[in-house]
Amino acid sequence: MRVAANTFPDSIVRQLQQLASRQGALQTQVATGQRVTLPEDDPAAMNQVLNLQTDIRSRTQYQRNITTLDESSTAAYGAMRGLKKISDRAQEIAVLADGTKSPEELRTYGLELAELIKQGVQFANARYNGEFLFGGTRSDAAPFATTAGPDGRVSAVTYQGNTAVREVEIGANTRVNGSVPGAGNSGAGPGGLITDTTSGADFFAHLVSLQEHLLAGNTGAIASTDRPALQRDEENLLSRIAGVGVLQARLETASSSEADQVASAGRSVTELAGADLASTLVRLNETQTAFQAALQSGAKLMGQSLMDYLR
Amino acid sequence: MLGLFGALDLGARALQTQRQGVEVAGQNLANVNNPAYARQRLVLQSSNALLTGIGAQGTGVESVAIQQVRDALLDRQIQGETGVTGFLDAQEQALRDAQTALGEQLDGTSATGSTGSSLSSSLSGLFSTFQGLATAPASLPERQALIAAAEQLATRFNQVDARLNTLDQNLNSSLKSDIDSANALLKSIADLNRQVSSAEISGGGTANDLRDTRQQKIEELAKLVNIDTAADTNGTVSISVSGNLLVEGQNLTDTLRTVDPGNGRLLVQTAGGSALTLTSGHAQGIIATRDGDLAALRSDLNTLAGSLITGVNQIHRAGYDLQGQTGADLFVGSNASNIAVNPVLAGDPRRVQAAGVAGATGDNQVALALAAAGTEPQPALGGMSFNQQFGQTVNNLGRALASAKDSAGSQELLSNMLGRQRDSISGVSIDEEMTDLVKYQKAFEASARLVATISEMLQEIINLKR
Repeated sequence: MRVAANTFPDSIVRQLQQLASRQGALQTQVATGQRVTLPEDDPAAMNQVLNLQTDIRSRTQYQRNITTLDESSTAAYGAMRGLKKISDRAQEIAVLADGTKSPEELRTYGLELAELIKQGVQFANARYNGEFLFGGTRSDAAPFATTAGPDGRVSAVTYQGNTAVREVEIGANTRVNGSVPGAGNSGAGPGGLITDTTSGADFFAHLVSLQEHLLAGNTGAIASTDRPALQRDEENLLSRIAGVGVLQARLETASSSEADQVASAGRSVTELAGADLASTLVRLNETQTAFQAALQSGAKLMGQSLMDYLR
Repeated sequence: MLGLFGALDLGARALQTQRQGVEVAGQNLANVNNPAYARQRLVLQSSNALLTGIGAQGTGVESVAIQQVRDALLDRQIQGETGVTGFLDAQEQALRDAQTALGEQLDGTSATGSTGSSLSSSLSGLFSTFQGLATAPASLPERQALIAAAEQLATRFNQVDARLNTLDQNLNSSLKSDIDSANALLKSIADLNRQVSSAEISGGGTANDLRDTRQQKIEELAKLVNIDTAADTNGTVSISVSGNLLVEGQNLTDTLRTVDPGNGRLLVQTAGGSALTLTSGHAQGIIATRDGDLAALRSDLNTLAGSLITGVNQIHRAGYDLQGQTGADLFVGSNASNIAVNPVLAGDPRRVQAAGVAGATGDNQVALALAAAGTEPQPALGGMSFNQQFGQTVNNLGRALASAKDSAGSQELLSNMLGRQRDSISGVSIDEEMTDLVKYQKAFEASARLVATISEMLQEIINLKR
């Protein structure tokens, strides 16, 4: 083929541009570690990566949900342990308050119980992150209200929350009960912490009853009524505490599972969009060599002409 | 028999012819870097022979034409492919601009793997904040985070739509500019037709340089709009676009103009009002991409934004806020250009309706339903979720751009190949011209020697008289 004066320069310019462009693309891949940066690079991979990133964000949010739930359940557990201690002491007093005790001693126990009731109400009205923990989904007001009796004693404790439970998503289509309501009065659904129809628990009512019996010196009623009632309350409390323990174990498992899923999705993203550094560097090296060869051969070819030999 | 004076004439003609050869070589060398130029060559022939008693005797050489070396078929092929190149260039550039406007870019250095400002990250970010709110529905910080995420998403939709709208306007401006350039070229070609015709009638030869310039203008025009050319016997070339004759001989019979059919998307027709169906060229590349892939992209985004507004509001409207109020929408607007967060909620995050029952601020049923909506199939989106539909939109644009890039790359190879073929025929070779230069120079020297020899012989004859 006949070669015109500008055939070589035009070809060399085009080839150098192509090689420079390829070098730029490979250098970007090496610098970012990514084969796919823009939709045009690999549309199908980009689509898959976007879906995986949505999955990663969703699972990261599940992990945050788990952390929040773990913190609130830890706070609930602390309050429950406080109530358990009060239950233990109340049962101890109910055992101690038998016929061997004088009316004065029984009255002293009664006054101690009055303080225990107030402390128990404080635990039952525990808050976390601005919400009352045991008010069901009515979490913006203290769930337990006291009625003051003579001498400032608590004569009744009323539950003002509801029996609903907030479900929280800790994984795709995986929900757990995120709270324990103060009362479970329906006989169905989640059990209540203080009052529970199924187990017959009514902790504060039974504490008030014990208080009144102690002050009245009615040891018979204490033995026949209060002790069994407090035993039922204790069992109910233990059941709720165990429930929190189970929840925390489940949260830990779920958190670990979500972390694994995030890592797995991250690996998939790398496989889809990541650059194979070794092969990319080899290709970059090849392109650089070709670029240098094109420059060298081009310069030599363009510098030669018949004029060099004509005098 | 020529005689000495005849031989002297022969030498003079030879000198003149070789000088012309040097001039043509010089012309070629001078235009070596002129892309419109086709190399020329001097056509020589023996001058008329004289009949003598011993037979026909030659009278030397004479130049009969300066011919440009062109392959008309190749020129026509290049002209056609130039239109395709123009179309693909316009398509690739418009789609690349759309990709930039969409702003979806993977960033391996960020935690989420994409740029934080992208629409996809904002979209999934909104549903994550619904999840966060479901965990702590009464929490003011979670509500503020939700409002911020919703505002960010709305802003991204607005920004992308505004960028695509600007791109539409820029494409319209580019189309106008193309049509203005095409009209200038049509006028220029008509003028050149007149000059070629005039030069060739008066000079008797071929107006090579004017033809070169005209061919360049025709190819420039072909890059803008698809044209048909027809060479006339008087040296002129008629130009028509989609069957409408615009240049006939020396006359510019019609021009092109852009018209707005009422939707802001300019179309091309003749100044006389005839509708045109363009098939290639930069102008058609703009129109096809603007009304095809880019219109689909905008439509997809508007459908997504509209479905999001409807879907989210439908769930949110049924919920209750921290004050027990219900019935408020989270988003206002109807498409990507006007989506915004309800200003009532934006000003007071407590008004976010996360609860499913009144008077239970800790209830999260609506927040859970909103979070679940992110992955649920949406009938308005053909059974895809919001994120899937957006992923598909990005995929469609990416495929269109990758395909356009591939086509443009193949077309560039084809154009380069045709260009090399034309260069091999019409391009100037310095080595070749230098050889011609030496060839004509030597011939000129030899002819001069002939004249000198005849002169000496004449002198000898004159000296016989003394």
